[in-house]
Amino acid sequence: MSASKADAVVATPTQPPRNDAPAGGSSSHKRPRRRGGPLRLVSPYLMVAPAILGIAFLLFYPVVKNAILAFKNYGRRDFTLGLSGEWIGLDNFKEIFQDSEFWEVLRRSFWFTAINVVSIMVISTLIALMIMKLGKSMRILVLISLVAAWAMPVIAATTVFKWLFRSDNGVVNWLLVQLGFESYDGYTWFAHGGSTMFVIILLIVWQSIPFATLTIYAGLTTVPDEVYESARLDGAGPVRIFRSITFPMLRPIFLLVTSLEVIWIFKCFAQIWAIAGQNGPLNEVSTLPVYAYQIGMQLKRFGMAGAVSTITVVILAAMMVVYFRQLFKQEREAEKA
Amino acid sequence: MKRRLFVAAGVAAALTGVAACGSSDSGDKDKPAASGAQSNAPADGKGKKVTIWVMKGSTNDEFNAAFKAKFEADHPGSTVDIQVQQWNGIGEKITAALASNDAPDIVEAGNTQIAGYAASGGVYDLSSKVTELGGKDWIPGLAGPGKVDGKQYGVPFYAANRVVIYNKEAFAKAGVQPPKTRAEWLETTKKLNSGDQQGIYLPGQNWYFYSGLLKDEGIDLTTKNGDKWKANVGTPQGAAAATFYKDLAANGKGPKDQDEKTQPETVAAANGNIAQFIAVPGELDTVLKNNPALKGKYDFFPIPGKEAGKPGANLTGGSDLFIPEKSKNKDLAYDAIKLFNSDEMQVKLAKALTYVPSKTTQVAALEGVPGAQAQALGAQNGFVIPATVSTNWGAVEETNPLKPFLTSVLTGGNPESEGKKADEAIEKVLNTKS
Repeated sequence: MSASKADAVVATPTQPPRNDAPAGGSSSHKRPRRRGGPLRLVSPYLMVAPAILGIAFLLFYPVVKNAILAFKNYGRRDFTLGLSGEWIGLDNFKEIFQDSEFWEVLRRSFWFTAINVVSIMVISTLIALMIMKLGKSMRILVLISLVAAWAMPVIAATTVFKWLFRSDNGVVNWLLVQLGFESYDGYTWFAHGGSTMFVIILLIVWQSIPFATLTIYAGLTTVPDEVYESARLDGAGPVRIFRSITFPMLRPIFLLVTSLEVIWIFKCFAQIWAIAGQNGPLNEVSTLPVYAYQIGMQLKRFGMAGAVSTITVVILAAMMVVYFRQLFKQEREAEKA
Repeated sequence: MKRRLFVAAGVAAALTGVAACGSSDSGDKDKPAASGAQSNAPADGKGKKVTIWVMKGSTNDEFNAAFKAKFEADHPGSTVDIQVQQWNGIGEKITAALASNDAPDIVEAGNTQIAGYAASGGVYDLSSKVTELGGKDWIPGLAGPGKVDGKQYGVPFYAANRVVIYNKEAFAKAGVQPPKTRAEWLETTKKLNSGDQQGIYLPGQNWYFYSGLLKDEGIDLTTKNGDKWKANVGTPQGAAAATFYKDLAANGKGPKDQDEKTQPETVAAANGNIAQFIAVPGELDTVLKNNPALKGKYDFFPIPGKEAGKPGANLTGGSDLFIPEKSKNKDLAYDAIKLFNSDEMQVKLAKALTYVPSKTTQVAALEGVPGAQAQALGAQNGFVIPATVSTNWGAVEETNPLKPFLTSVLTGGNPESEGKKADEAIEKVLNTKS
């Protein structure tokens, strides 16, 4: 089993089906099709133009606007009266970097993301592997459950979790007491930063597992059975098979899912806010987006909030460089093949 | 019902006020729209609409209908659209509305939040109208916070005090009387807390009540040192207040990690098994609406103080009305404010929802209304948190550090060290320049 062969097979799920054809032909096939007048030349651009414009307006414009705001002193007066705000250079950033709370929040954002992403990836992979082994009816049942969990709106799920963990009549405390953990009678989960964080992580992991599981499962179904069979004949156990076959073959998928989860968790706001915003120890569980929201929407320091979110975007972009490098590398290899 | 104000000398002054401020005011009490008649003719309302934002629970449907009918009759051709807003996220909603081009014409805001909105430049200055509106009789706790940098932006709407609402049958069964001091109260509550019955239903995060306890210990929640705000929770007095809170709340099953917002429904659901709870008198109506079987079972007493004869310090709540700068019908909006401010509407609203009306001169009209007396007694010892004049106070309330502080004390945390954490968080917000 050479590595390049594995890559060729694996390219399937992330790329259009035409790559399904045996390696070697894809780029040379396309050339002859490029014929016709100038209209044919510009028509592809015209076709993607609406999408590009949409993206520019919905993504690019706010990010640029936000970055501009980061260099201004923009407060409630500027906002209400529609003023443009005063340029203050790097003052916002200087102030943020001097705020010990920022560093605390930043550290927390990293370990919060790490714990969530690792839990999501491990559990999702295990569930995906389990689904492969299930019979048809059980498999359908699990898949339906996953999709149902995925379809649940964020705030609805968060509200349900808040109820589950209520101190006076929550199901979790009741269950723990039934199981013999008497100390959980009336336990206040949202009284302490640690236990609140635990509930938030549990909620986010629960919400993220369906997407990750289904994607990994989709990848697993593309690995041909013969590969596993021959590995088994060579005497490889399940752990060895995963390490030497499944994971290397599905590496692009794992990379994709991990990257997306990193983005989603790092910028996660709604769950933290809904769980701890009103009554909980928010200062002990807030991450960068929550911190930015507090500065912007509560203190009405929009410029400062712009600076915090710009920092968030830069950090995310830096983390994503890893993903994009891998993606480009993979594409180059696919072209070479 | 978030806000506070001190009716302080309010009610006491009321009595002297009625006598002192002449025959015209006191004589007008029963003549509807008398104050309107004193001023200019009503603004032309033809084809115009006045949009009014009131908060959920501030008024009721009957009052809204009566107000609409009266205003539309006085201003032929106009329409009044009263929109009820939810408390959750209201700060952001109003901020956005003040900046938008279709702002409402009148907005109700908690009296502590006026400073923030006024600082945005989006609120219309009503200073020149104060005399016409009879501003000298406004209760200071509403008029004061409505005034920012010497300009009157907010017009008092209503005030409400927290009182203890108690189950008369439960008290009779236990052979106890409404307590006069804090020590007595603790003892009584302990006695009431037996079997299925909860002595008191006090959720852990009622920071309004806590601020009153703190004031009883002799200090304000916040004080100003030069141009810096200082919070005083992490002090021996702060710890004493928190400890009393904890001891009292222990005589019931109030959730330690929730605030008072879920309270009336829970009391109703408990089927009369809650001997006492702390709320503004008007909330009893919510309880009775949810469980009509409880009708007639409850009465009121003021929150007890440390010594008999002096009720506990009372951080009272209330609202002001203001006109956004972007309102398109300011004349008509002002007429509507005038109507809200009139004796007729004030007394109607105060009776319907058991409020303290916006003028000291209107209090006398409430004699015999259940709950009004306990509320008026509590008002004698009302106070305001000094930092509510800060433009950032609204931000303190939105993610209030006192809530997690109280929860952690109630679940066994050290009051002083936890209090210091809360102080730090409050001070950070208050001392941020914005």
